[in-house]
Amino acid sequence: MSEQLLHKFLNNEITDTEMEILKASDVYRDYLKIASHTSSLQTPQFNKERVWQNISDRNKYKKKTIPLFNYRSLLKYAALLVIMFAGYFYLANMDVSVTSQLAEKRSYVLPDKSEVTLNADSKITYNKNSWEEKRILTLRGEAFFKVSKGKKFDVETSQGTVRVLGTQFNVQNRDKHFHVSCYEGLVEVIFQDQSIQLSAGNSIIIENGKLIAQQTITTTKPGWLFDESSFENVLLENVIKELEKQYSVKVEINLSDTSKRFTGAFTHTNLEDALKTICVPLQLNYSIDGKRGIKIYEE
Amino acid sequence: MTEPENEETVCKESVYNRLFTSLSTSIYNFIYFKCGDAAQAEDLVQDSFIKLWENCAKVPEAKAKSFLYTVCNNAFLNEVAHKKVVLNYVQKTESGKNDQSPEFILEEKEFEKKLQKAIANLTEAQRTAFLMNRIDGKKYREIADILNISIKAVEKRMSQALESLRKEIGNI
Repeated sequence: MSEQLLHKFLNNEITDTEMEILKASDVYRDYLKIASHTSSLQTPQFNKERVWQNISDRNKYKKKTIPLFNYRSLLKYAALLVIMFAGYFYLANMDVSVTSQLAEKRSYVLPDKSEVTLNADSKITYNKNSWEEKRILTLRGEAFFKVSKGKKFDVETSQGTVRVLGTQFNVQNRDKHFHVSCYEGLVEVIFQDQSIQLSAGNSIIIENGKLIAQQTITTTKPGWLFDESSFENVLLENVIKELEKQYSVKVEINLSDTSKRFTGAFTHTNLEDALKTICVPLQLNYSIDGKRGIKIYEE
Repeated sequence: MTEPENEETVCKESVYNRLFTSLSTSIYNFIYFKCGDAAQAEDLVQDSFIKLWENCAKVPEAKAKSFLYTVCNNAFLNEVAHKKVVLNYVQKTESGKNDQSPEFILEEKEFEKKLQKAIANLTEAQRTAFLMNRIDGKKYREIADILNISIKAVEKRMSQALESLRKEIGNI
């Protein structure tokens, strides 16, 4: 009880009546005397001004050498700048890819307004940043180009390069089949060590790096742009591969003679019709069962 | 990305200045109560404030007080040789007491002398808490915060201090 009153006194929270209670005890009277006398003591003079002067001098000197907080906040902006620059360079140097899925066709306008139409399962890649200086793109699959007039326009493929000046042409780069058709203007086809100039209305077929046919074309645009794939003397195997891409199906071929070639066209809108147009002229049979399993076999 | 800036940074000179004005004397006393060496206490106050400036970006204003006391206490524990210190208190001039009788003044003087000696003989922990309360007028709550102990512990130190002082001084 009195102990708590003592603490109240020391904390300066005691009331007068409580004080009387405390004073009634000899021991607490002693405590009160000690406590109040101690309060009138003091420490040696603290030379605040001198210490402050010393601190200020030291801090001014320190501030010049280590502006710690400024440096820290600057770091934030530096990091931001680095990220922005990295982002810019990443975007600036980024290659743009345009891809069409199986059974999908896709049109795309290049930065110079040249138009590309991708046939199924194809991909073009070009550099957005350097397109103005160098019109170079790589092609996998098949695409039709309508090139705006300008500097040379290169289509690089795994089997050769097609170089043009404002024209319309089709490039098919599928597996070992490389087929270039020029519909307008002039294109140059570069493959292996050869280079062939192709004027409007001509097409060439290159298989396994060898020129196997040079043909004239009568249409103004490749058939696939009108949902049709047309072929001139093409290995059946390659025709079926194209069919598989257009319909996104798997076809099993069971033939003793693998050198059969096909001339004609199949539609992209009806699988059964397409199979019919391929098989009937070659006197082959086909079957379509359940889970999209398609077989082609001899009669 | 931005840090919460609801508090003023100690790096601002006006804030730093304010902290020095309000805290430096208490901290000086705190160290003096421990070691009884005025020069040492001044040095430690100076060092702790320089350290605060160097770390100003990391220490929010609300934490500055505890930072300063902790730095001082650590420095004290590390650097100051624990010797038996004799505290030399300067008597406050109390104008109201001039009308006391000569015997009374003499008695008082005698008492003060004994008191000073007794305080010097307290344990460091008791002395620091007791003098922070008596000389700096700090409440138990604040002492508990600074010393990082509970209020109960402060009460205990105060009681023990008074008890040993009374014993040491003898007939009062």
